[in-house]
Amino acid sequence: MTEHLGENAELYPLGLLDDDAVHDVERHIALCFACAERVAQAQSVAAALAAALPQATPSPALERRLRESARPQPGAAKARASIFPFGLAAAIALIFLGLGWQTLVLHQQLKADDVALVTMVHSHFNHVSMAPESANPVAAKILYARDGSWIYIIADKPGGSLHAIAETATGTIDLGVLPGTGETASLLLHPRERIRSVTLQRAGTDVASARLMY
Amino acid sequence: MDELVDDFVARRPSGLEQAYALWSRLLFGVARHAIADRGSAEDCVHDALVRVWRSPNRFTGNREMLKAYLIACVRNESLGMIRREGRRDARELKAVRLAPVSSIDPPVVDPVETQRLQAALGRLPDEQRTALTLAYYGNKTHVEIARELDVPLGTIKSRISMAMRKLQTELASTEGVRS
Repeated sequence: MTEHLGENAELYPLGLLDDDAVHDVERHIALCFACAERVAQAQSVAAALAAALPQATPSPALERRLRESARPQPGAAKARASIFPFGLAAAIALIFLGLGWQTLVLHQQLKADDVALVTMVHSHFNHVSMAPESANPVAAKILYARDGSWIYIIADKPGGSLHAIAETATGTIDLGVLPGTGETASLLLHPRERIRSVTLQRAGTDVASARLMY
Repeated sequence: MDELVDDFVARRPSGLEQAYALWSRLLFGVARHAIADRGSAEDCVHDALVRVWRSPNRFTGNREMLKAYLIACVRNESLGMIRREGRRDARELKAVRLAPVSSIDPPVVDPVETQRLQAALGRLPDEQRTALTLAYYGNKTHVEIARELDVPLGTIKSRISMAMRKLQTELASTEGVRS
């Protein structure tokens, strides 16, 4: 994780940061409880400042647009922005997707510090291969935190749009579509409750599933 | 549990509709404070609300925290639009957002809340209050404030940060007085 936000925690809700810095803040607070608390406090102060601004009534068209945007659009769910550092995700994907010699080379190139880092990462998350559920399955893996705080689904050659459905203790959650490039598709989430299992669907048909053990 | 928050986080349309019904005037006011054009301001409110609603995992907390989060998102969306887009009316928008605004007195809306806010602002050191109010009510960037006050950029960032933290303490200390 990068260093803490510092003053940017207060500058963020005031709109003083540029787009890159805003994304950095949002990425960081998804992983850092202390900074998330600090940003939340700053947001409450910014809300008090906003309460003194003149309010204004938007046109009825805005409400109609919002209702339209909220309507379910099967297969067109907006991809969620990944907050996973790309380099780390790529390294983990290489290690856990078992890409033969590439993984071997990567391991050989690891310095002592890197090995320590990988060991530490290992101790904090699990991974599981998803089992095929159809004649035309997809090769996919799930990396997930042992405390249930995040889950990362990655599929190799998805062969179309993949939709993820999760089961929790309280019911079923639609995780949405895995954003992808064609060669791979992946999705990182910070679920509010622990996910017990994940099923991937392609065109409404189950193609892979996995149960998560904590 | 709060039904609004639950519905919003679960990405139910009712969550978005409830949030809009409660806070649309507030959020639109935040956008209009930065952007003169009504249509662009509505775009900002729409885009910020939908983005947050579709990515509920970014949010955890209660109703007040959701409101504060949405306000911050609309504010960022609005100022981001001005910064990002080489719009043909950017100069006009900038002229509006840089219109003279008192560095001390925010516009009066809710007399009780505003009085409480002004009292809290009044207890800040002058240099912190000036930097914060120029940033929020004057819609100025920290670079612009640093130039205007002729102090280093890092100093302005620190003043704003400290002002926010002190203001939080001041507002919290009068929370009971308000109710």
